[in-house]
Amino acid sequence: MRRKFLLSALLALTLLASCGRRNEGQFTSEPGMSKPLTVVMDPNSEPESGFDPAFGWGAGEHVHEPLIQSTLTVTNPDLTIGYDLATGMEVSQDGLTWTVKIRDDVKFTDGEPLTAWDVAFTYNTVKKTSSVNDFTMLDRAETVNDYTVVFHMTRPFSIWPYTMAIVGILPEHAYDPATYGSHPIGSGRYVLKQWDRGQQVILEYNPDYYGPQPRMEQVNILFMEEDAAFLAVQAGQADLAYTSATYSDRSVSGFSLLSVRTVDNRGINLPVWLSSIDEHGTVVGNEFTWDPAARRAINIGIDRQAMIDHVLNGYGTPAYSVCDGLPWYSPVNEVEYDLEGAKALLEEAGWRIGPSGHREKDGMTAWITIYYAAGDSVRQGIAAELANQLNELSIRADVEGVSWNEAYSAALSAPLVWGWGAHTPMELYNIYHTEIYGDLANTARYSPYSNERADTLMDAALACTDLEESYALWQQAQEEIAGDVPWVWLVNVDHLYWVRDGLAVAEQKIHPHGHGWSIVNNVDQWSWE
Amino acid sequence: MRINRRAGTLFLLIFACILLFVIALAGEALSKPAELADFARKNLPPCLAHPFGTDWMGRDMLARTVAGLSLSIRVGALTAVLSGGIALLLGTVSAICGPWVDALVSWIIDLVLGIPHILLIILVSLACGQGFWGVIAGVALTHWPSLARLVRGEVLQLKQATFLRAARRLGVSRGRVLRTHLLPHLLPQLFTGLILQFPHAILHEAGITFLGFGLSPERPAIGVILEESMGYLAAGRWWLALFPGLSLVLVVMLFAAAGERLRLLLTPASAQE
Repeated sequence: MRRKFLLSALLALTLLASCGRRNEGQFTSEPGMSKPLTVVMDPNSEPESGFDPAFGWGAGEHVHEPLIQSTLTVTNPDLTIGYDLATGMEVSQDGLTWTVKIRDDVKFTDGEPLTAWDVAFTYNTVKKTSSVNDFTMLDRAETVNDYTVVFHMTRPFSIWPYTMAIVGILPEHAYDPATYGSHPIGSGRYVLKQWDRGQQVILEYNPDYYGPQPRMEQVNILFMEEDAAFLAVQAGQADLAYTSATYSDRSVSGFSLLSVRTVDNRGINLPVWLSSIDEHGTVVGNEFTWDPAARRAINIGIDRQAMIDHVLNGYGTPAYSVCDGLPWYSPVNEVEYDLEGAKALLEEAGWRIGPSGHREKDGMTAWITIYYAAGDSVRQGIAAELANQLNELSIRADVEGVSWNEAYSAALSAPLVWGWGAHTPMELYNIYHTEIYGDLANTARYSPYSNERADTLMDAALACTDLEESYALWQQAQEEIAGDVPWVWLVNVDHLYWVRDGLAVAEQKIHPHGHGWSIVNNVDQWSWE
Repeated sequence: MRINRRAGTLFLLIFACILLFVIALAGEALSKPAELADFARKNLPPCLAHPFGTDWMGRDMLARTVAGLSLSIRVGALTAVLSGGIALLLGTVSAICGPWVDALVSWIIDLVLGIPHILLIILVSLACGQGFWGVIAGVALTHWPSLARLVRGEVLQLKQATFLRAARRLGVSRGRVLRTHLLPHLLPQLFTGLILQFPHAILHEAGITFLGFGLSPERPAIGVILEESMGYLAAGRWWLALFPGLSLVLVVMLFAAAGERLRLLLTPASAQE
């Protein structure tokens, strides 16, 4: 017993000692540099394959600016398109050829100039290797001269500039897929100085950067679980750390809570088809949500603000579409909360309250199971709150957590709590457009639904040669879809951060889905007051 | 009335059994309220209305804890019976069916004992599709060897006993010897082993559920509750972990105490003390 005690005491001491040592090394900076910035992100934000745009860095489900590499375009704070490397772009009348001119004064951090050859090489490489982004619309990239590149498309794709905003440009002369991820060479605002897997990333400013000199010269990024991040803030070891509504009622001296508006939405799909069993034995469709009145009643019968107050401690905004606040968003999606109206809709459609206390029609109970990804406490809370609110409408709602393996097929016949929100209109297409090939060739990808007129409008939006015009077509598609209510959008989850007093975080553009790298998109413009 | 130690022991045993039984029943009755989310009362520290507090979805932690314990007790009971059955069968077979069978069974026992418990439970539970039955299979299939070894030793010893050899010589059939002479001597050991298996099973159930290989996260199992509470400890919600954790320890101690009393009562050497 005594020996055990001694042993554990010794162990604790060693642990403490090693912690202390790590901290010393972590915060040193070279003399003459501004105070380094320490940012805490969740462990999932650490890029598994490193900082290689060909393997998902900056792209994929959680888009952000690649920082280490330059991109051709960028998204402006209002999510319209601006230029980074590009100086101009043109698209041919048939939408199949994009010609992009680039700057001639850009160098990689190894001193080599960045030319159109690197751009073409990058796009041809990501088309081959990217597992997180769709590049099927790109046929090939070609160079016209050192500073002009041409993209040949397989189909018109008006929102190509949004894809160009997330592809970091690789150096053709120094690209080895095996090592690039851990030793990236780019032309962006920062250079990867050090990466300790599972712990931290140290970024240092690029002195030869072609744009405005970054004001924050060294950025340390630590990866920690939410509770550890909070403790790090309490101990004053971080300057900015992600957090969630769980901790929002706490206060830490010397820090304040920053809430960033997002399009990181949560919503449910409502299967529009009558249920049947497909050739794989999967149930597709739902007897209750098949009724348009039921879908409309759910849409207006949900008190989104109550949901935000209950589940997110008030840190969120009501969601009415997958793209709230983005240039292609149509206000037609907005609905007023109207509980009585929702009840009236159900009554009118024949759903009357039966002896069980739930609504019934032709011997069928108004009954849905709301699925959510097990382990996600926000989605669990939303599902529970939604079930409570549906009970107010006398709709029986059960809640069940499932793994992602089961979730996709569950969503074909029942509502699932989803999270979306990307900086590209392509998301509308992915959610609402009827699939052209594959297993579900006559329905949208995630939930049984199909609307030909909306499909035509979205196809027209993609074929359009003018971005502004395409926004209008995306909006018209939403107006077409709004009457069908195939999805009900619930809330946009604010992204919360603890920020050290004196740190001025630059204005954030609406954050996309994913509570990770987005916050440091413009870390070069942050400053110490 | 003077209570002698035997009566005291018996009293404690009965008390433990009744308490466990009540918890098991109460949990079943509380399974609905345990899942009821009411955001109007979220994050309440322990108070009169909610002695164990509420969690971030406004679920009553007392209801959840009792429901979780009830589930644990049911898992414990089922696994103890199953692993006890396996142990009795293999132990007896090993002792009376000749050297070959004995060597084989002993080898299997060594094999199972040789692999770290928790690893084997996770493997079996995963292979059986997790969930309630995965956990049961995982714990039952890993907890029989020590009991089987005990049974085997006991049977080997009994086989040499004079009364048994006399019975055989008198021409009593094998089955009858097994029933009337062997089993009655074996049962005390087996019962005690069985009951002592309970706390093990419960802790393992909570353990692998905590690690994410066991029961599904909707079930108000103690492992799930403890796992969830981890995320809120740093936010100052200590009651989410403290009370369920303490209750688990208490139930395990109750089982251990019941097993110990039973052993005292059933073992001839200590039964009259």
